[in-house]
Amino acid sequence: MGKMDTNVKDALDHIRAATQELHGAMSDAAAKRGGVAKADLEVLAQKAKAATESAKGSLSTQQEAAKKHLADAVTHLEATQKHVTESLKSSGQAFQTSVQKALADARASAQKVSEAVAAKRSAASTKAK
Amino acid sequence: MHNYIAVVFDNTSKAYEGLHALWQLDDAAEVTVHGTAVVHRDAMGNFQVDTKETHPALATAAGVGVGALLGLLAGPAGAAVGAAGGAAIGAAAGGAVGVTADLVRADTREQAAGETRFVLGAGQSAVIADVSEDWTSPIDTRMRSLGGTVYRRAKGDMEDDVWFDDYYIPSRYLYPYEYIPSSYYYPW
Repeated sequence: MGKMDTNVKDALDHIRAATQELHGAMSDAAAKRGGVAKADLEVLAQKAKAATESAKGSLSTQQEAAKKHLADAVTHLEATQKHVTESLKSSGQAFQTSVQKALADARASAQKVSEAVAAKRSAASTKAK
Repeated sequence: MHNYIAVVFDNTSKAYEGLHALWQLDDAAEVTVHGTAVVHRDAMGNFQVDTKETHPALATAAGVGVGALLGLLAGPAGAAVGAAGGAAIGAAAGGAVGVTADLVRADTREQAAGETRFVLGAGQSAVIADVSEDWTSPIDTRMRSLGGTVYRRAKGDMEDDVWFDDYYIPSRYLYPYEYIPSSYYYPW
């Protein structure tokens, strides 16, 4: 069933782990009782940038089945970066709105990368049958 | 196949064992898990979903979103209550009980409880998950071995049921990784 092949961790799996970690760090920061600290946001901005660059760099090496999902993930990662940057420059309700938008886009990016992984696994499984 | 599943267990610790097993199946590339949450229904019939301690508005949104997902999982009849039914699900931060009774009238809550009863009985817990699977046996076999009962609906069928568009994605409130509140002990 091609399980051995699909279980090998590749660039896409690492990008998935990066987006999962980004969402985890962002939701942990949002969960802080005192609210999100600017220092946390600076770290999150770096994480979002690294994940975006990693995903962009991997686009050309992906099979068609996974490429569309990964391209969507890049769009959401760029939006995450944008919202985090906006939150660093804002305060009050605008700050909260930017943080919530960043969290939603981080979640969407993790979803899209996960769908790319599923597409890759399904293609590998079909080929192995 | 892109499916949504609800795996019902008789108690919370078994549900978290099931959650862990599901992510293990993902790690083994047997299935791909896009997101998960654990939902409880207490003896009084109230629903709670485990979320990280967070801003009350976000916790409420998670409760509404996961609740809507439960309604959709219940089938066309459950989907009829849609997002309104979701408001019956409270968000429990860090395992504490909370019910968003402020958001919905009592009759809607009762209707939602009735619609989803077959998914989650009083005193039971369930793992809700968004998964891609080429065959259903890996999840069915593993969850059965843990005492879980799997309910499954295709994403496409759920999209056909209700006011479900690209903007409204209940799965956005599922954690895209294995999240287990620190208040739960898991021996595996």
